[in-house]
Amino acid sequence: MAEPYTITNPPLVCWSCHDRTLGTHFCSSCGKLVQLRGGIDYFTLFEMPRKLWVELPALEKKFLQLSWKLHPDNFVSASEQERELSLQHSSELNDAYRTLRDPVARLEYLLGIEGMRKEGEHKQQAPPELLEEVFELNESLEELREAKASGGDLAGLQTRLQAAEKSFQAQLGEVDARLQSAAREWDAAFDAKADEGARKKLLSRMNELLNRRSYIRNLVTNVQKELQ
Amino acid sequence: MARIVGIDLGTTNSLVAYFDPQTGRPQCIPGPHGSTLCPSVVSLDPDGSIIVGEPARRRLLTQSERSIYSVKRLMGRGPGDVQDELKLFPFRIDPASQNVIRVRLGERVFTPPEISAFILRELKNWAEAHFGEAVERAVITVPAYFNDAQRQATKDAGRIAGLEVLRLVNEPTAAALAYGLHERQRGKVAVYDLGGGTFDISVLKLISTGEGDIYQVLATNGDTHLGGDDIDNLLQAQVREEILRLHQVDFAKSADSVQELRKELIRVKHELSAVDRATLRFPLAGGAVYAREFTRAALDALIAPVVERTMKPVRQALADAQLQPTEMDEVVLVGGTTRTPLIRETVEKFFGRKPHVELNPDEVVALGAAVQADILARGVKNMLLLDVAPLSLGIETYGGAVAKIIPRNSTIPASAQELYTTGVDNQTGIDIHVVQGERELAKDCRSLARFTLKVPPAPAGLPRIEVKFLIDANGILQVAAKDLRTGEQHTVEVQPSYGLNDAEVERMLEESIEYAEQDFAERQLIEARTEAESILTATAKALAAVPDAQLAGGEREKIDANVAALQAAAAGSDYKLVRARIDELNQATTHLAELMMNSALSTALEGRRLAEV
Ligand SMILES: [Zn+2]
Repeated sequence: MAEPYTITNPPLVCWSCHDRTLGTHFCSSCGKLVQLRGGIDYFTLFEMPRKLWVELPALEKKFLQLSWKLHPDNFVSASEQERELSLQHSSELNDAYRTLRDPVARLEYLLGIEGMRKEGEHKQQAPPELLEEVFELNESLEELREAKASGGDLAGLQTRLQAAEKSFQAQLGEVDARLQSAAREWDAAFDAKADEGARKKLLSRMNELLNRRSYIRNLVTNVQKELQ
Repeated sequence: MARIVGIDLGTTNSLVAYFDPQTGRPQCIPGPHGSTLCPSVVSLDPDGSIIVGEPARRRLLTQSERSIYSVKRLMGRGPGDVQDELKLFPFRIDPASQNVIRVRLGERVFTPPEISAFILRELKNWAEAHFGEAVERAVITVPAYFNDAQRQATKDAGRIAGLEVLRLVNEPTAAALAYGLHERQRGKVAVYDLGGGTFDISVLKLISTGEGDIYQVLATNGDTHLGGDDIDNLLQAQVREEILRLHQVDFAKSADSVQELRKELIRVKHELSAVDRATLRFPLAGGAVYAREFTRAALDALIAPVVERTMKPVRQALADAQLQPTEMDEVVLVGGTTRTPLIRETVEKFFGRKPHVELNPDEVVALGAAVQADILARGVKNMLLLDVAPLSLGIETYGGAVAKIIPRNSTIPASAQELYTTGVDNQTGIDIHVVQGERELAKDCRSLARFTLKVPPAPAGLPRIEVKFLIDANGILQVAAKDLRTGEQHTVEVQPSYGLNDAEVERMLEESIEYAEQDFAERQLIEARTEAESILTATAKALAAVPDAQLAGGEREKIDANVAALQAAAAGSDYKLVRARIDELNQATTHLAELMMNSALSTALEGRRLAEV
């Protein structure tokens, strides 16, 4: 069960009635859709704490409830301003749901809003302990491409690549397990209101694991593509 | 509130439907020929008027170079895209076509949205005749797997036809709406939609909530160039080859005969859906006759590859929805081509359950469009549709690779923000190329648009421009840019790679209104001629009944002169002149009418003009 969690929005001056309102989507005075608040994160949008364990049925329920109210189908006969706002609010809602329901996208997003992943910094360097294995893999892949082109010994290479794929799949499983335990630690630290230093350490650890994960995943995808 | 109609703009047939609040059900509107199906065929008459639907379909056989069918295959595509189609379809593409294809009909050229607009205008006329009032707003269906350019082209067609297109709805989703309403289904539903020219598969979840029913599309896939047409083409190619071999007659030389043969083969195909054997007798030039018996088994063997091609998108859609075939609670078949027994068997075997076929597969999409039209007219009251983008949206990055920013099967509206800056000092523009598709290289994806972001001169890396890519509820891309340093909104002029710009659409709308006026004049002329005929008959009858002696001096001559003048006018094409001559003859026969009534001893008719007697 998620514990009750309240978030206070910064007040906004409604475009329609000019009252100050705290509503995320609708003006508390006139009931119209309010302007999109820049800087509201997806967790806040769903009135959820910034934790990594998410109860999916509850998330879906909230998504469907908000969809009823925000979907552009409700505003076909409304003013142009309201139609535009409904488009902005409902696309934000859909983006948020798409991100939060997927564990990896959720983690990536959390790292982003916590300042761990900067724009344009998705460089993928081979984790040092994998270098040797990656080097061998690339060699095998190259040989396979050549063999495909010239009709060389495919079977032997394929067996070697299948073995490599299996090994990387196993490592992927291991990374996932470590990520899960880090995520549990993060949620516990959140509940315990841990200090900035402890939180930063956890975030940095998860960031490294996530990079490693996407690196290995790419390797696996590449091998699978060649083996097809 | 004025009515909103739902329109299925199909490859082979188009339909218009509305939601009847009295029965709480959607209903298709029949045309003047009594059928709810309007063949998606357009023909240009030598007199310059446009003929649509059943009469145009008949002209495919006699005036094939002035007529076009399956124009949906050309929507939103460039001349380079349709080379394969040209081998199989008698499209006459104007060599001057650039981004947008131009098709030749007789002595004129039209873009595919203009031709589709003629069909939409015809359906609009059907609806207006049915309601006795103007219809200006519509929901139009599109294949779920249509890309941005194809959707935009459909929207443009609506505008050219004088319709405000309130929403484009995906065809399988529309079918699910119609079925959901009909069957009160819940759970996971697969919709297999094989039409004349397009194939879609959609996987939906039907959810009951406190507020009402939600139709949530989980995944969609398809092929916008796969349909019943392909089956017809296979049959046609086989028979043409046989005729060439057995009778040394080459059909490629006569477009009219090809259409005649195609029509016969479609008949054979339809018969084989019901019985195991069908025969074809086709007279050839020079007196020979090509005769052949077709069996269902042979047809099945011929079309098996087409059916197999539909299964790859089916598997992909299920994989994307993370579901197994057996997890589906319902399977729905949509589109006329799903009447083919092999398709029914294949789908049933794959999902392990009998598919729903209760609703007419030709009408179900239009009915669903009418349901969506009703939702839009009244606001979301008890039904909500959440659809998805069928293809990933990406932007070209270094080396021609694609960075996906909105993945396929994202619920729409959906958006993504990207931050851009400059690479050199005082750079004034950043080029952006938006593509749609699943491939890794931009050149293998569909180019949607290219545009240049304007940047105020500044040192390299200092400008920060946030670009928001948004796919709206119609599945159409919008782009907005914001300068994060100044907070200023930039307008982004997006020139579609394969579409019409606003000015072109406006011009086509004006031209099409001229056509509509021409149509109006034609209808007026027909009515005036009918009226002229009845007054001429009545006058002749009266002149025969009333002795000349009862007429005043010169009266007979005056009437004769007016009769001749009206006959001459009715032979012409100016309806206003016909009306004027009718009035003149009415005036001239007022006295005659009185005499006629007196002699008939019918006081009840007193005071009425001759034409009314
Ligand atoms: Zn307000």
